[in-house]
Amino acid sequence: MTDATQQPLIETRAICKSFGKVKANQDIDFRVLPSQIHALLGENGAGKSTLMKIIGGLQQPDNGKILWKGKPVSITSPKVARAMGIGMVHQHFALFEGLSVAENIAFSIDGAVQGKVLNKRILEIADRFGLEVEPQRPVFELSAGERQRIEILRALLLNPELLILDEPTSVLTPQEADQLFVTVRKLASEGHGIVFISHKLKEVKALCDAATILRGGAVVGTCDPETTSAESIAELMLGSRDIVAVRKEREVGTARLSINNLNLQSDDQTLRINALELFGGEVFGVAGVAGNGQELLFAALSGETRSKQPHSIIIDGMPVGNLGPNQRREHQAMFIPEERLGHAAVPHMDLTDNALLTNLSNPAATRYGVVSKKFLLEETNQIIDRFDVRHGGINRAAKNLSGGNLQKFVVGREMNKSPAILIVNQPTWGVDALSAVKIREALMALAANGSAILVISQDLDELLEISDRLAVLHHGDLGHARPVHEWTVEALGLAMTGSSTTEHVA
Amino acid sequence: MFKLEPRQDASLWTSLRSILIALAITAVVSVLVMVVMSDKPAEAIWQLLSFPWQGRRMEVQFGLVAQQTAYLAIIAIGLSVGFKANVWNIGAEGQFAIGSVGAYLGYLILGSPEGAWALPLILLAGVIGGCLWALIPAALRVTSNTNELLTSLMLVYVASHLLTYLCIGPWKGDPKAGQAETFPMPESIRPETLINGTEFHTGLIILFVAFIVLAAILLFTLLGFRLRVAQHTPRAERFAGFSPDNTVWLSFLISGATAGLAGAVYLTAETGKLIQAENYLENFGFAAIVIAFLGRLHPIGILLAAFLISYVNVGASYVQASLGVDDSVADLIEVTALFAFLSTAMLDQYRVRWHTGSAKTSQAMS
Repeated sequence: MTDATQQPLIETRAICKSFGKVKANQDIDFRVLPSQIHALLGENGAGKSTLMKIIGGLQQPDNGKILWKGKPVSITSPKVARAMGIGMVHQHFALFEGLSVAENIAFSIDGAVQGKVLNKRILEIADRFGLEVEPQRPVFELSAGERQRIEILRALLLNPELLILDEPTSVLTPQEADQLFVTVRKLASEGHGIVFISHKLKEVKALCDAATILRGGAVVGTCDPETTSAESIAELMLGSRDIVAVRKEREVGTARLSINNLNLQSDDQTLRINALELFGGEVFGVAGVAGNGQELLFAALSGETRSKQPHSIIIDGMPVGNLGPNQRREHQAMFIPEERLGHAAVPHMDLTDNALLTNLSNPAATRYGVVSKKFLLEETNQIIDRFDVRHGGINRAAKNLSGGNLQKFVVGREMNKSPAILIVNQPTWGVDALSAVKIREALMALAANGSAILVISQDLDELLEISDRLAVLHHGDLGHARPVHEWTVEALGLAMTGSSTTEHVA
Repeated sequence: MFKLEPRQDASLWTSLRSILIALAITAVVSVLVMVVMSDKPAEAIWQLLSFPWQGRRMEVQFGLVAQQTAYLAIIAIGLSVGFKANVWNIGAEGQFAIGSVGAYLGYLILGSPEGAWALPLILLAGVIGGCLWALIPAALRVTSNTNELLTSLMLVYVASHLLTYLCIGPWKGDPKAGQAETFPMPESIRPETLINGTEFHTGLIILFVAFIVLAAILLFTLLGFRLRVAQHTPRAERFAGFSPDNTVWLSFLISGATAGLAGAVYLTAETGKLIQAENYLENFGFAAIVIAFLGRLHPIGILLAAFLISYVNVGASYVQASLGVDDSVADLIEVTALFAFLSTAMLDQYRVRWHTGSAKTSQAMS
């Protein structure tokens, strides 16, 4: 299917793109054949997104050529890209919650097809590729997997010959991911070229028949992922660095965090936890598909959402259920939210100011209400050194950092305070592999020193790697917690989709 | 075709540069306005720029500029607090009026004293008046989520009618006066004039000191930090342990206090009595909104903007007297400056690129 003599669907030659002094793409040669599922691998900041934005018409290369079916083209806008036959499914969905599936799709194709004809076409294509959708359902009712199907559908409605999938499985359950793979294979078998961007080598090995690996903005290798070992691909991605986090045996100490009869309700989520105890020295994992109460669980623990009963949450013997974030921080409980920009950090403020954000109750940070710049500088530099945060100067705004580096900063900010209890939501979401390993190692080292850590994550591999105990959050209910070795990925996947009650897993 | 690209290198210099561009645009348009409005544009422009040195006493002219600057700057910095945190108090004019009313009420409660000791208490009464008036829209916003833009603006009209009512009703003074007004306060408790024949008085010093104190608070303390956090990211605000409701209260409290203080100083220093609204209010509360944005909500910027606009205002009156050019020229310049500053503000964060069809021939414009 992928012999070398075939005319590539798309080919880039020596693509270069710089942002200021940063060379995001350097002489990139990249080719995708028809019917090929081509993986694009690399750490965050390796240049994958830039390359895809160039192909998608969102950005213009400084230099280099793009050939579409052998002919040189200039893709000046996303519209041009779509007209040529390049479809893109973004990692972050751009859907109107209040509109129906069909309405959302009509929007994206500029209303070219509407009403019954559109419904019919949606169902046709959905049927052809095994994408189950109900055109009339409003988007807010849909799960992440269903939303992704809409994104894929609206790309397919334009009959693309090349489909780019940007980290498509990051929000899916294992079952949903399997379903996606079936669709992708079907597409490839009908002659579509697929670019599959992912961090998960397992998936790439199972699905893709070619891979291009980027590092530091340049191509460092191509391979056949089926026959190349995961270790050697990882080595290409990361350079010759150790990516295996070492699991240390940890002593479990006394209860540091307990939750009793916590019932909360927010606009779109509910949370019910009857009893949970977290011990010093343990990493407790909370698995679950996005939108099952993770945000509310985090807010309840951080104090952003307060309960009326003080005893619903107890930190080191102190009832804190009705207290706010800073009063909980005074008891050495620290929190790392999922959203880096706008929640964990203020995009427009520089790193020192962002260091202050969670240090407000720290007596060293302010004196008589006056902010101590000296303390903040020291603190910021410590965080940067300890966690190898690469930045263009600590006076630059947080939004200028790459996702991985900002996450290291945000994690480092809380770690640097040696928390007794640490609550983390999605510690390595959208973070490059090396940073992810560093962050996980830091979490485990902290637990080894006697802290209690609660990790909320949708990355099962991550949870299985670092947790001692694991529970699944589904529709706001936190299921029974079990030691990790009693779980299997399949059992977790079922619990996460609510297909089985926790009793069955036992 | 124009295209905006986010800057990777936004810095102090890019901000400064866009301010310079805005000033240049304002200057060019101002010259054009003068050419249209005056028979002798060159002379009019020259006089507008150099008026303090044209007349007899420079300090008189600078006194007028300082007087306007003080009122505009103190109200504008108070408003900037809320604007930074997305709390839109546009009713400073009303808080100014009630600040004056509060000060006069304080004077009456103290038993119409004659000693200078009463001045601080009278000013304090004015501050409290401004605060209380500002708390009405704050309370409505926090409890019932009403739009504070509307409520604070509407309360301006309520306040000015209240002021007029007090002047024609309960506090009516000399019936032979040509306007509705209260009895004047004695000279002995009013702020002293510092330079004879000018508008420099201790009241202005009080306003400038208050400005500096508030500027220091905004630049160096947790309160200032909190407002910067609240500006764009309510979630980060809550995460840092700040309650968004308290930010609303605080913003209105501070802007009400500064407008109230300005109103109290105005009453004691400038008029000495309350007068019916249309003869009393000088639009400082509304003009300060423009000043706050011209100064980009930054204390130093606000001070400079207040000075520049006051200078142009006083200069325009001078040119009107000497050359008969209508002083509405000052309004035109002010509006031009506002447009120029708001439209160039995006140059801090973005660069404008000019696309001529092909992707490669793009050229940076600024």
